[in-house]
Amino acid sequence: MNADNQHAATPGAASRAAARDRGRARVRAVTISAAAASLIGAGVVAVSLPASAHTSISHATSGTSGSRASGGSSGDDGSSRSGSGGSSSGLSSPSSTPASGSGGGQVTSGGS
Amino acid sequence: MGVTSSTALWYASRATGVVSLVLLSAVVIIGILVNRQGRLPGLPRFAVLGLHRNLSLLAVAFVAVHVLAAVADSYVSISLAAAVIPFVSAYEPFWLGLGAVSLDLMAALIATSLLRRHIGRRTWRAVHWLAYASWPVAVVHSVGSSTDLRHGGVPLDLTIACIAAVVAALAWRVARAGAAVPRARRVRELMTPGGRPPGPAQPYPLAGAGER
Repeated sequence: MNADNQHAATPGAASRAAARDRGRARVRAVTISAAAASLIGAGVVAVSLPASAHTSISHATSGTSGSRASGGSSGDDGSSRSGSGGSSSGLSSPSSTPASGSGGGQVTSGGS
Repeated sequence: MGVTSSTALWYASRATGVVSLVLLSAVVIIGILVNRQGRLPGLPRFAVLGLHRNLSLLAVAFVAVHVLAAVADSYVSISLAAAVIPFVSAYEPFWLGLGAVSLDLMAALIATSLLRRHIGRRTWRAVHWLAYASWPVAVVHSVGSSTDLRHGGVPLDLTIACIAAVVAALAWRVARAGAAVPRARRVRELMTPGGRPPGPAQPYPLAGAGER
């Protein structure tokens, strides 16, 4: 209280307080904008990720012999090659790495 | 793009991972600016600090979603322990281990920042230097564990942009640190009778470059 009164009595204190409030408001606005941009960016990245590798590999390795992905995104190389056991390098997802790393995710990755 | 219930977690994990890297890069860059008394347009210094803190928390939130989505995704077996304890994962132990290392460093940064008043500035600063280790480890984790990056596209572009931005910020910081006159030397010169007086006609060279 006393400190506030002193600040209020000090010349320029009001303008400094106003500047501080403006700064806080800008920080809040920038933070909200960054959060919104991050969410939108996550969506954009998700859209740009190659589709169907995940599902195609999972179908292939689960023994359903599905050589086609259920993702249905039109035929990038990943979907067509995924039926061959997922060893292709064209797959660009983490789902391609278990195939190459452990020779079929479900079989060996449960080892630990 | 074919998001189904079985792939939603996979997409969420990958997308939030990329966004986390972008946010962490922004946090590192702002941290560099703050440390060297840098300013962002239209923001006073305390606001830059606040932005640094808020973006850090936002990045942590995205990292949390990234980790939890990866753990929850049933396609690969990643335990929650493997997300925290380095190099124990059955799946890609090295690359995921780097992610765990980065996560742990980040947790240390956040915890010490929250406890800053209690642990002292020196300890906090020492731990905060870990940020410079956490970010490159996160980058290596991203590059190593993601085959997306090897095939180009938006994730690769974003990663390259992040690396370039942080390297540029580091170069700027190193340049300013090299040009700054140490505070102790300035004080010594001020206190020495034969020292140069800081007159307006001949100000100290680069005065204010270090502290302002």
